[in-house]
Amino acid sequence: MFFDLNVPVSSPSLPQSSQSQSKKAKGKQPASTQPTPTVTYTPAQITSIESRIDLLVHLGYSVFALNQTVQRKVEPKTHINTLDPLLSLLKKRSGAVFLKRLTIILDEESEKGFGLTSSNASLFNAYDLIALTPTTSSTFSSACLTHSVPSPLTAHIISIPLTLPRLPFYLKHTLVRTAIKNGAVFEINYVGAMGGDDGGGGEVGVGAKKNWWAAAREIVRVTKGKGIIVSGGVGNETDLRSPKDIGNLITLLDLPQGAARHTSTSTPKSLVLRAQTRKTYRAVLSEPRLVIPAPSLPDPAAIAEDTMADTEMPTDQPTSVRPLDSEAGPSQSVAEKNEDASGRKKKRKKKNKDSGDGA
Amino acid sequence: MVRFKNRWLLVEFIPSAQIVPSREPEPLTSRQIYSALKESVVSNFGDTGWGAVGFSLTVKYYSPMTNICIIRVGRDQHRIAWGAVTLLDAIEGRKVIPNVVHISGTIKHTQLAAIEHNRVVVARYRASVKQAAASQDSYEQFLNTSTREIEALQD
Repeated sequence: MFFDLNVPVSSPSLPQSSQSQSKKAKGKQPASTQPTPTVTYTPAQITSIESRIDLLVHLGYSVFALNQTVQRKVEPKTHINTLDPLLSLLKKRSGAVFLKRLTIILDEESEKGFGLTSSNASLFNAYDLIALTPTTSSTFSSACLTHSVPSPLTAHIISIPLTLPRLPFYLKHTLVRTAIKNGAVFEINYVGAMGGDDGGGGEVGVGAKKNWWAAAREIVRVTKGKGIIVSGGVGNETDLRSPKDIGNLITLLDLPQGAARHTSTSTPKSLVLRAQTRKTYRAVLSEPRLVIPAPSLPDPAAIAEDTMADTEMPTDQPTSVRPLDSEAGPSQSVAEKNEDASGRKKKRKKKNKDSGDGA
Repeated sequence: MVRFKNRWLLVEFIPSAQIVPSREPEPLTSRQIYSALKESVVSNFGDTGWGAVGFSLTVKYYSPMTNICIIRVGRDQHRIAWGAVTLLDAIEGRKVIPNVVHISGTIKHTQLAAIEHNRVVVARYRASVKQAAASQDSYEQFLNTSTREIEALQD
């Protein structure tokens, strides 16, 4: 199962609202003075998107995230979700899963705030994934530190623009490590290697390829290959490539083969699951389960094990998961796991008995 | 015994549907693919890349009907050649999307994969056309000839 988490969808809208840069210039609606509350797609656009998805399925991808891009900041009043109407218009495919993603391109003016606040949370709940594209060092640090913390507004994807002639900010190792620990991932768009437009305002053509190799290699080096996903970002159909080919390209960036395969399979999979936790409290996905061990009489075998348990180091058991263990008393449950926790308690009880005997 | 090991790539060149082929251009030959591949290696990996790959790089088979191509490279440098195939975007000016379908160490499995791929393509054509025995004859014949051609390939 291969993931392509960046299928850019050019929105058919209006020069007034801040919208995506589209590579296909055909089929756009004529500019109107007032922003319409609903967005309609022309049949030509629908067919081009359908053919793009056909090609992606032919190449081997099965999970897609349609991407809507916003420049600079999200205006709660004028922001239009262009993906919901699109999803209802696409034909049903049995093997493909579609997700919705919002990308916010951050620059200097976004440093004061770009609308990713709890007051606008209702807007963001419609999207499955939120991504940020920082272009300055302060936006990069805020993206890594504040916006990767688990919350209903977590931006799980940090997408670095790879086609600029020089990375605008230095990828500080501590920031990157904090972001990955919090669960965010860094995204590499492979369209830059083909010379396409990356969406970060970089170059196109031959210059883009040079910059892409340098920047992508730097990302792999800083993250040590751990929190990376690779996705398309492809606007022009001729730049699409199959996931195995992309895996091979990533191997040429000095990433080992197994890790390269993870970037398009298991890492995006766990990312999508983690992104669903935006609907839960503090990224907790499961509920703690109460385990009551069965009481049993102490037998000679248990006492023999008890003496053995005294000599071994008590391991760290999460006693909060089994709150009733302390009340279980001298019971020796059959499960081996309980032995360590109760072994520690047996030690205490033995000492008590000794002190009782001595006293 | 230091044997020279190879990797056989089965590549499908998907023609990009953007440029509508109003006039049917003459089909590609393996020589054109070889020169396009050479250019891609040199521009992406430099002369050293070509030095690593060039000695063992051969285009063994190309079928214009199904756009299937079998390429042989040495095993130690096959990643460079595979990368060059991926970064290829046009052959003789025509935009293509290269898709590596299968990669193996012997020619036997590549032949099997190629025959399988031809079958899948023909099945797709037949499903889209949905006719009876009339069109099947031409496809059957094509399958037979292509299978014979593929099996005739030697190391």
